[in-house]
Amino acid sequence: MMSEPDSAASVETESRVPPVVFGEPIAAGSSKPEVQIYMSGMNGALNRVPKIRCVEVPVQIPDVTLVPWRPNWPRVKTICLTFPAGLDLLPPPPPKKSDAAAGANELVAVKAPAPPGAAAENPDAPPRKATRIKPPVEAISIEDRLFYLLQPPLETWLKGQELIMPFEPFPYQYEGIAWLFSQKSALLADEMGLGKTMQTITAIRLLMRAGQARRILLVCPKPLIPNWQREFKAWADELPVVTIEGDGAVRQMLWTMPGVTILLANYEILVRDMEAFGESAPQFDLVILDEAQRIKNRDSRTATTARHVPRKRTWALTGTPIENRPEELASLYEFMEVIPPRATPDLRQLQQLAKQFILRRTKDLVMKDLPPRLDRDEYLDLAPAQRLAYDTAEKEGVVQLNSMGDSISIQHVFELVLRLKQITNFDPLTGESSKLERVEADMEEIAECGGKAILFSQWTGCIDYLEQKLARFNPLIYHGKVPMHKREPILKRFKEDPHAHLLMMSYATGAVGLNLQFAGYVFLFDRWWNPAIEDQAINRAHRIGQKSQVIVTRFISKDTIEERINRVLDEKRQLFAAVLGEGNATNLSLSMNASEIFGLFDLKARHGKGTRAIGPQAPAA
Amino acid sequence: MTATGKQDQLRLGFLTAIEVPDKGFVGGLLVTNHNGRPLEFQCTAPIKANATQEILYGPTLAPFILGELIGGTLVEKAGIKPQLILTDQMQILELRNHIDRPVALVEKGAQESNADEPGTRRSIRLGRQIIQFHVAHGGDQATVAGNSQQVPADADLQEPFERVREALQETLKSGALR
Repeated sequence: MMSEPDSAASVETESRVPPVVFGEPIAAGSSKPEVQIYMSGMNGALNRVPKIRCVEVPVQIPDVTLVPWRPNWPRVKTICLTFPAGLDLLPPPPPKKSDAAAGANELVAVKAPAPPGAAAENPDAPPRKATRIKPPVEAISIEDRLFYLLQPPLETWLKGQELIMPFEPFPYQYEGIAWLFSQKSALLADEMGLGKTMQTITAIRLLMRAGQARRILLVCPKPLIPNWQREFKAWADELPVVTIEGDGAVRQMLWTMPGVTILLANYEILVRDMEAFGESAPQFDLVILDEAQRIKNRDSRTATTARHVPRKRTWALTGTPIENRPEELASLYEFMEVIPPRATPDLRQLQQLAKQFILRRTKDLVMKDLPPRLDRDEYLDLAPAQRLAYDTAEKEGVVQLNSMGDSISIQHVFELVLRLKQITNFDPLTGESSKLERVEADMEEIAECGGKAILFSQWTGCIDYLEQKLARFNPLIYHGKVPMHKREPILKRFKEDPHAHLLMMSYATGAVGLNLQFAGYVFLFDRWWNPAIEDQAINRAHRIGQKSQVIVTRFISKDTIEERINRVLDEKRQLFAAVLGEGNATNLSLSMNASEIFGLFDLKARHGKGTRAIGPQAPAA
Repeated sequence: MTATGKQDQLRLGFLTAIEVPDKGFVGGLLVTNHNGRPLEFQCTAPIKANATQEILYGPTLAPFILGELIGGTLVEKAGIKPQLILTDQMQILELRNHIDRPVALVEKGAQESNADEPGTRRSIRLGRQIIQFHVAHGGDQATVAGNSQQVPADADLQEPFERVREALQETLKSGALR
């Protein structure tokens, strides 16, 4: 086999004579030289034909590297989030057929009537924007944020699949529910009548369904316990609610009974029992304070006790987070654990915290379809006997105050104010009352057309006096002296009895929590010290469910202390609006302070710097 | 205790993916009960094919990554196994060839869709939408139809995919998937 032309090959030569190494000496005596060398020096071996043979030598070629390719994908990294299990609650019992319906044709389920203002069923209407739950600002971990983000829209959740809703909430209520659901600390400060109760109950339902709460404490003023019981029944029939009541041993058992999900207690019981528990107080996933302005004084026993209830979440409900001074908010913030103990945030900080932890909507903002509330200030001349009594009392009172010199105190001034206010209601000697005359005239009309009215007064004595004078309108009385067990039947009768046209209530008992939206008239027979309390009273009637306009009549006796107080109350309304972002914040020194109350009689404050809060205790249970 | 849901209740898995520029595909699986309440959520880190993979897989790349790689991993790792997996991306239907449970495509705008009439061939109506099964797995329709009444008739089956996409964006933003 021939080698490749360019292959490397070695050539071997064979000679007949052994090769001679030049220079090697010829051996002595040798007859025949082994190598013929010409004279010219050429070697004769060159004349021979060389013998050539080829041998195969492997070619030195470098190895070719083959890269095998297989579809190897790296292992996929994942993140997993498992949602906590919610409570499995029994479905609510099916509605009972009424006796009247027995024997009648089979009842057909009908859709619950939408509240006023709700969009009518219209297939062509654009679908409402879904309300999604947003992660709260303080949720940092991705697990926490995803927990909220992945919850279904509230409209889906509350569509009667897992949670039956008797009525379709308004869009702003959906927002409120979603906000509450996601907040660890929250102050729901919607104006009265916008459905704080329903939003709270629904948010509780969702938290329980989502496994976020299993044990909840709701604290409210004592008169509102039946109201909450009723609302829970209406909005969350599947939730078992236990009211803390009875003697000490029974209450102790109720507080610690396992399996109880929602506990309802009033403030007095909370203080008493938690103090008894001491360090071993029961723990809660959520504590809610209704009418949370009750803890506006951070040093009060109620506030101190509420702050020490062990809990994971904290909600507060009030339509009036500020009654007198912006500092009252600090006590609520402290309860909500959003400021350190004893912290005193300034106005700017209060407003900043409000953005994150307070949700407040007003009727003007969200209830454009709610029938209007028509306020009218009725300036009345005192009846002659009243005028005489008033002038005399004021003159003597001021003289007396002036004569007290430096020993005068706010309490002295208040006594005079109260005495004068009572005279503007009616003359204590003759019983003459210009306000009563006006109420009688209005009530004639109201009763004639089958309407219902609520009358508020500061004094139970005044209410009792009016009861006699207005007997022909079948007035019902609802104030602190009415035993608790008789209160609910009174409200029921007022609602259902067509002949009961008038309900007379004290601010202290009737201003909060009651739903009286079937009444179209409200009389403020005398004025409370705080416009927020007055608004609460008015909103018993002007709230969701009201189908007609509400006419509010405030009686103000001309040239009396009432006119002067009215001026201060108007200024306090501006204060309330300023801190909660509903107005400008330039009039923050307008709370009714000692200087101003002295100023009602052109007196000068003798003590302090004029910033002490004055006024009677806020309405209490 | 975890939200495993009741055994007799239908569990739905909503599987979708998003493409993130320069990072690739990220997939998420939300397991809910029949009312859409979440029971479990899983998502993947971004998966990006290199140039060779893009060339060699060609048009099968997206179904492979979305269906087999992302979908398969998520279903395999799910602690609460959905009985029906729904997706809004056609490529993810490929997943059905790799798992033993039904996978269906939720059609957008079912009312206007030209899909098969519900109840015929491989489509059925579920909630407000029509869902379409993999052509090679004709038995899935019958399997699902038995439980489909558990899903409310007015349930919007497109909505949970929005939740998944939002969760994926949030997870990416948090850097948890790096």
